[in-house]
Amino acid sequence: MAALFPPWSNRALRIALVVVGILAVSALCFPMVYVRTPFVTNEHVALDQPVAFDHRHHVLDEGIACLYCHTDAERSAYAGLPSTDVCMGCHSQVWNQSPLLEPVRQSYFSGRALAWNRVHSLAEFVYFDHSVHVARGVACEHCHGPVETMARVEKTVPLDMDFCLDCHRNPKEKLGFDAQRDFSAMRTEDGRFPAHTGHAVTELTTCSTCHR
Amino acid sequence: MAEVFELHLRRRDLGKLVAASLALSGLTACAERREKIFPYVRRPAGVVPGVATHYATSVVRDGFAVGVLAESHEGRPTKIEGNPEHPASLGAAGVFEQASVLDLYDPARVAGSRGPLGLTSRESLERELSAAFGRGAAPWLVLEPTSSPSLLRALAALRARFPRARVSFHAPLAADARYAATERLFGRPLEPQYRFERATVVLALGADFLHDMPLSLRHARDFATRRAPGPAMSRIYAAETTLTPTGTLADERIGLAPSELVRFAAAVLAELAKQGELATALPDGVKSALARGAPLGETEAAFARKVARELARARGAALVVAGPGTPESVQVLALLANAALGSVGRTLSFVEPVPSGQDGALPLAKLPDALRAGDVGALVFAGTNPVYSAPELALDELVARAQSSFCLAHVENETARACGSVLPEAHYLESWGDARAGDGTLSFVQPLIEPLRPSASALELVAGLAFGFPASTHEFVRDTERARLGLGPASADIGFDFEAEWERNVQRGFVEHSEFAAVNPTLAPERAVPLLEQALSAPSSASGFELHLACSPTLYDGRFSENAWLLELPHPLTKQSWGNAALVSSRTAAMLGRHTGDVVELTHGTRRLRAPLVILPGHADGSVTLELGFGHAVADQLSHGVGVNASVLGVPFGTVARVEVRPTSAKADLALTEDHWLLAEEAVAHELTLASYTQNPPKYEHDLAAQPSLLPSFEYAGTQWAMSIDLSLCSGCNACVVACQAENNTPVVGKDLVKNSREMYWLRIDRYLTGNPDAPRVLQQPMLCQHCEKAPCEYVCPVNATVHSTDGLNEMVYNRCIGTRFCSNNCPYKVRRFNWFDFSGARGATLLQRNPDVTVRERGVMEKCTYCVQRIRRAEILARREQRRLRPGEVVTACQQTCATGAIAFGSLDDESSEMLRRRREPRAFAAFAELGTRPRTRYLAKIRNLDGEETGS
Repeated sequence: MAALFPPWSNRALRIALVVVGILAVSALCFPMVYVRTPFVTNEHVALDQPVAFDHRHHVLDEGIACLYCHTDAERSAYAGLPSTDVCMGCHSQVWNQSPLLEPVRQSYFSGRALAWNRVHSLAEFVYFDHSVHVARGVACEHCHGPVETMARVEKTVPLDMDFCLDCHRNPKEKLGFDAQRDFSAMRTEDGRFPAHTGHAVTELTTCSTCHR
Repeated sequence: MAEVFELHLRRRDLGKLVAASLALSGLTACAERREKIFPYVRRPAGVVPGVATHYATSVVRDGFAVGVLAESHEGRPTKIEGNPEHPASLGAAGVFEQASVLDLYDPARVAGSRGPLGLTSRESLERELSAAFGRGAAPWLVLEPTSSPSLLRALAALRARFPRARVSFHAPLAADARYAATERLFGRPLEPQYRFERATVVLALGADFLHDMPLSLRHARDFATRRAPGPAMSRIYAAETTLTPTGTLADERIGLAPSELVRFAAAVLAELAKQGELATALPDGVKSALARGAPLGETEAAFARKVARELARARGAALVVAGPGTPESVQVLALLANAALGSVGRTLSFVEPVPSGQDGALPLAKLPDALRAGDVGALVFAGTNPVYSAPELALDELVARAQSSFCLAHVENETARACGSVLPEAHYLESWGDARAGDGTLSFVQPLIEPLRPSASALELVAGLAFGFPASTHEFVRDTERARLGLGPASADIGFDFEAEWERNVQRGFVEHSEFAAVNPTLAPERAVPLLEQALSAPSSASGFELHLACSPTLYDGRFSENAWLLELPHPLTKQSWGNAALVSSRTAAMLGRHTGDVVELTHGTRRLRAPLVILPGHADGSVTLELGFGHAVADQLSHGVGVNASVLGVPFGTVARVEVRPTSAKADLALTEDHWLLAEEAVAHELTLASYTQNPPKYEHDLAAQPSLLPSFEYAGTQWAMSIDLSLCSGCNACVVACQAENNTPVVGKDLVKNSREMYWLRIDRYLTGNPDAPRVLQQPMLCQHCEKAPCEYVCPVNATVHSTDGLNEMVYNRCIGTRFCSNNCPYKVRRFNWFDFSGARGATLLQRNPDVTVRERGVMEKCTYCVQRIRRAEILARREQRRLRPGEVVTACQQTCATGAIAFGSLDDESSEMLRRRREPRAFAAFAELGTRPRTRYLAKIRNLDGEETGS
């Protein structure tokens, strides 16, 4: 009687086992990788905005500093978008007939706010504070990328927890601070905290730094 | 709440839904939710989005102002704090001040005007009101008692324009007895001012002076300065019918029925009169009147002798305080005792009465006859609810006899239902106004927000009637202030910058040094004789029980009846939530053969009231206490059917009356939180007497770090947060509980879930009764997360959702929590709360009250006290921005900030200057359940009672 399985079936079974193993691992890993892809984090998606505002022109050509419009970055948790009257401060004098600025003039005279599309959004549970980051010398570009080269603003970093912890775990190395401006100068130098959980925690990586 | 989750699905439909959800679940990641950003068009000056600002304003109740600071986030008020500079607050805020912000966003607020002939616009109603005032019979205006110079000016103008107009002031808790007593003894009504920081021995006669007097917050601050254990510690005696927060802090207290209270006060005064030096102060007529009183029981008489002895020993630094709800006779006896003790000018002074405008005002009791006679044209109720609080006047039926009736109301209350027209009343955070504090300090009410709906304040209404609508109350209050400063019209200011003065005062919230000057009245003690003879010779053995009406510690007089925070707030002593009850002693309950939860029927004349019974140990025997403010009758409202309305018995507040009490077989469904979150049998709170404490300091387990632990050790360094709570200073008044709720977005769950022990308070106050069950000692212990260094909750969490921070906080990470509830099971202090349902799902305007710095928790998540981590991190961010260290005392928790006695101290263990650390080093500091090895960061200080030798009665 002929063999029930042909001679190649052993190899086929082995290959099948390997493939099933790879698939099982991929099924686990795929979602973890997938959520980190720009497809989900919305990196490099340049959004259309109600006004064709061009940072290249305002920052590079005119030399206007970030804080001229995003005034609250130094004093509040929110950097803020400029109110319409800030735009009109200049544009009532220059380009005051430009059709590109029609939505701004409409907003100014009708009193209805411009509806900008949010580009940089954080997870819901995070209390991020602009002022302390600016005060400690984190450059705007660090999180927002080279905005001055963008025609339409886009996200250049994932802004996920990994990204935040990257600096919070080792701000000195990441930002090249001198000792005087070091975060840890305020409190203990090496606040390692292995109690209870076994995780090394410093004051900047303690949960309530961002989650309250 | 639970009905939301009772879906009626068939098995197959459920299967379909599950399959569809699974299949589509991947799609959610495909399209990111796009948010919009709406910047201002024109940015308001002074607004920085994300940075809270505080404005000074005032909370006014019954004509007395308390200065507060209201926190505003982008223009919406979210939280009330005390105004540290204001003399009636000194930085503290009480339960009612804290909760008042929720009323602003109450969904039950009167939505729009409602009038006859289909009038619905505010303007048309105002026109109608003005017209009604001028035609027909004479109009009648019913107002809350007021001290507002602007309102009084408007009333004067109103009377000038409508000379026939009649005005009544109505407040269910009006403290007329003290004015009657001062008028009798001094010839004119006066406002007593107590100085507890100077008082070494205090006798409180039915006086909850830490809680329900116009200057209570100040009293509490002053009182606390004399309660540190040591030779300067004051001694407090309390004689009261029901157990009050002040009574729990008294060194000794005795429960006395209202009639006994009069005789007790007389006995104390008679004892004082026997002392040689004091005897001369009292005329013989008074002495012989005092002798008329029926003798007290043996215990009471011994207590009276002892109190008199102690008071006499502290002559010049003694103080006798009679509560606002005591009858005139007790007030007179207290004044005479103070006079005999030489307190006047030292611990007691007098100023002019704060509420004014009473000249020419008619008592409300005359309104029914006028209505029956058809003698009332336009009848206007502004900010009062007499249909609810004075049912004996039968106004609900009689209001229709007025030619027209108007009600200015915050919510559709009983009076609004009875009136033909209703106007929405503006909240104090929406309106301009002024008022005087309990010492006469002129305070301003400043709005923080445009009225959410078209509405008017009582001042706006009266000013509109007097000068024509629409009235600008801003201008009106400014003009009053100009007149007070003696300035003419705006153009005539020469050499005086009114604008600068006005802005300074409004910014501060009050006018500095504007309190009334102390007056020095001449005492005429013999005028007390007829009153005392009558009060003391009243028969004491009539049948039935004595009825004692009290201010509700949660709803005040009922004006907060739609405030969900206050409805759910457990009573400080009975721990009853969502309702009130007839409070009796255990002996009285045994006489009735009934127990807590049984319904009894109270009868006064022809009036009946069925109320649930609650046994309150320490209550006077033979009397029943009912708290006002509950039992509202307006259907579809939150307060409908919550508790019983004590006013139905027709006994005015502050009078002694007898009621028949008949047991029934009915049972009531009470939400008592007393046995919720029960801790272990062993004592978790300690108390000592001053003598034993100074001679033999206790040895509580101090060296907690030496305890063995299985957990890895960690060396804490740098800023380390910790809290010390002095049980000697906690009266259990609940202000911290509401402050925590407002600060931390803690939800209200409703009566059904409270009964299931699912209330969500991060901070609760545990009340312990010890000693004699009939005269117990009371210990109030605020219980909140202890932030254990070896926290039992942390190592049982499978997902690390509760972990420790380097600065010693036990952190709760909501986004990690999967709701196993292992942590709360393992917590020995039972301070963790689980969101069984979507409690945060408030709708509409209530959302605007939320603190944006604190996560609103969702269903299935554990939560607990964070030591106000949002305030810690905010202070740290500020310090880092300014390149400095945290300043001592820079971080203040919400509970600490509002506490009037300063029972709660918070700070860092590395800050040697902190009050928290100083307290922690006292020998009486102890850690709750220290034996468990949790090493809590919160320490309690044992309660110290300053006894004089033997204790009476226990």
